[in-house]
Amino acid sequence: MMLSKDQIGSLVFLCLSLSYGYYAGKIPLLPGDEFEPFHAQTLPYALAGLGVLFSFLLLASSSMAGSRSEAKSSNASLDFSLVAKLLALIVLFAIALQWIGFLLATTMFLIGGYWLLGERRPKVLILASLPFAAGIWGVLTQLLNIYLAPGQLLIMVTGG
Amino acid sequence: MLDGLFTGLTTAIMPFNLLMVVVGCFAGTFIGMLPGLGPISAVALMIPITYGLDPSSGIILMAGVYYGAVFGGSTSSILINAPGCASTVVTAFDGYPLAQQNKAGKALALAAYSSFTGGTIGAIILLFAAPFLASVSLSFQSGDYFALMLLGLTAVAAFSGKGQTLKAMIMTVFGLMIATVGTDLMSGTTRFTFGNVNLIDGVSFLLLAMATFALAEVLMSVMKGAHREQDQAMDTEALGSMKLSRDEVKEVAPTVARSSVFGFLVGVLPGAGATIASFLAYGLERNLASAKQKLQFGKGALRGLAAPESANNAASTGSFVPLLTLGIPGSGTTAIMLGALIAYGIQPGPRLFMDNPDVFWSVIISMYFGNLVLLILNLPLIPYISRLLAIPRPILIPLILFFSITGVYLVSFNTFDIHMMVAITVIALGLKLLDFPMAPMLLGFILGGILENNLSRALTLSDGSFSFLWERPLTLSICLITLALLFLPALRSLLDMKARNQEVPGANVGEG
Repeated sequence: MMLSKDQIGSLVFLCLSLSYGYYAGKIPLLPGDEFEPFHAQTLPYALAGLGVLFSFLLLASSSMAGSRSEAKSSNASLDFSLVAKLLALIVLFAIALQWIGFLLATTMFLIGGYWLLGERRPKVLILASLPFAAGIWGVLTQLLNIYLAPGQLLIMVTGG
Repeated sequence: MLDGLFTGLTTAIMPFNLLMVVVGCFAGTFIGMLPGLGPISAVALMIPITYGLDPSSGIILMAGVYYGAVFGGSTSSILINAPGCASTVVTAFDGYPLAQQNKAGKALALAAYSSFTGGTIGAIILLFAAPFLASVSLSFQSGDYFALMLLGLTAVAAFSGKGQTLKAMIMTVFGLMIATVGTDLMSGTTRFTFGNVNLIDGVSFLLLAMATFALAEVLMSVMKGAHREQDQAMDTEALGSMKLSRDEVKEVAPTVARSSVFGFLVGVLPGAGATIASFLAYGLERNLASAKQKLQFGKGALRGLAAPESANNAASTGSFVPLLTLGIPGSGTTAIMLGALIAYGIQPGPRLFMDNPDVFWSVIISMYFGNLVLLILNLPLIPYISRLLAIPRPILIPLILFFSITGVYLVSFNTFDIHMMVAITVIALGLKLLDFPMAPMLLGFILGGILENNLSRALTLSDGSFSFLWERPLTLSICLITLALLFLPALRSLLDMKARNQEVPGANVGEG
């Protein structure tokens, strides 16, 4: 049986609300808080309850409406792998920022992004990334006086 | 009021703030022209820049970007039939046919004049309505505020479109859930941090806004193949004349006046916003037209273009009323502005009018300037601004991604935020694919803290009893409106279902 988008969504939120409610019970309370009308667990419990209620209502209404808009059919033409690669590039950018610093990481991120989206001309790849990254780095460090760490790898190589 | 007006005027006409209006309108027009990126994304992209400015300049910049983006959306609707945002979808109905008849210049000029008039009428009404509402809401107590927050959150869900109400409710609850992550300010205990020190301060508003509206929107457009498309830069000659004849002005003047007032009133309703205003104004104008004129709608009717354009700009202005006077955003874009104001340490609401009159009035005055800038500077420059669209998408998209990421990184200098941004973007993309609206989540997140504070105060004052919800007539009225908003969509869909079942007897027998 294929589930509709609404049914998938409602089941996801049902699980989320239940686990949120479970962890709401783990919030540490101060001594005597349990006698107070409002404490750190009050709103989370209410939200978990509302989440469960709305998820059930959505599940019920989508089952009653008998919507057959299967998630798979309408999303078939979407380019998931490219988006996954771009997201991976962003994660790599975050890691590179720590190790090789802002200037190099930005240049590599931009070249990677242009490449993934189909730009192959080396001249464009270099000219649209390095001068841009250097310009932004210059504005941040020289004009706005923002300190950008040079990156741990560069510090290790140059000896600080 | 005159003192405040003078303060606002002196703040708004400061050269730097005027520059912010101009820069905001330009940046907004450019971003708004990009199909898929609307005012919300444009304003979200500006947040990191405004952090370095003083509150008035920051909000003035955002207001400029907001108007610019709505105008940019109209431009791409008219020129290439690709609305930049939902509120300019209706503009394409008659704007694009006009462009096909070689009247693109006329259509753009009419859109700009209508937007200007709509925005101006909206700004004038706001000038008088906002202080009045603010003074009324000064008598509000914490219980009233709690009820008002509930009303705001429910209204956003109720106006989110047919079949979307429950999803919007769920997203609002999800936003409220995210708002509870971090240290509870009342007790000092940490909630849902799972031992991660990076979560002790909670999820940053900037991070959430950028991930859900900037990053997720761009990646969604990549997923749909937008990077393979290329817009055409418009040729100045191809636009045709930008002049309107006296008869044409006479024809559209009543439409613009009507739609402006109507748009403003719709915009004031929390959650309704510019999109609904533009659709309703178009429908209203079509109904008012004679049978002969009706046939012209959808084929390049000037009234069909003027109505949504004046209504969506007036509604954009109207959505500032609940934000400035009650602290409740009227739309997704104003929700982002609310978050930015809170980040500045400014609490929007009735006290804003008294505590930060410079912010309050300068925003109102700069709205007028924003409309003026769009008319005087942006309209003649449209052919040149649209040339920016000729930048190849494979170059433009990584640059937008870069600005979104570094915008967040340069505030915290913590790479954990980038990882978290990626995680939130993945969730946002999944939810978008399942057709869940994002704006209610952001609204829930922003209002979460204030809602919890007011509920806690009201419950403590009433000794744990919920009687504060019905003891005061004002609170009771707000609660009743909330309940009506909550149950009306449910009632409507039940009636719809009943009507369908009556039309086809036994239609759902075989479904069970």
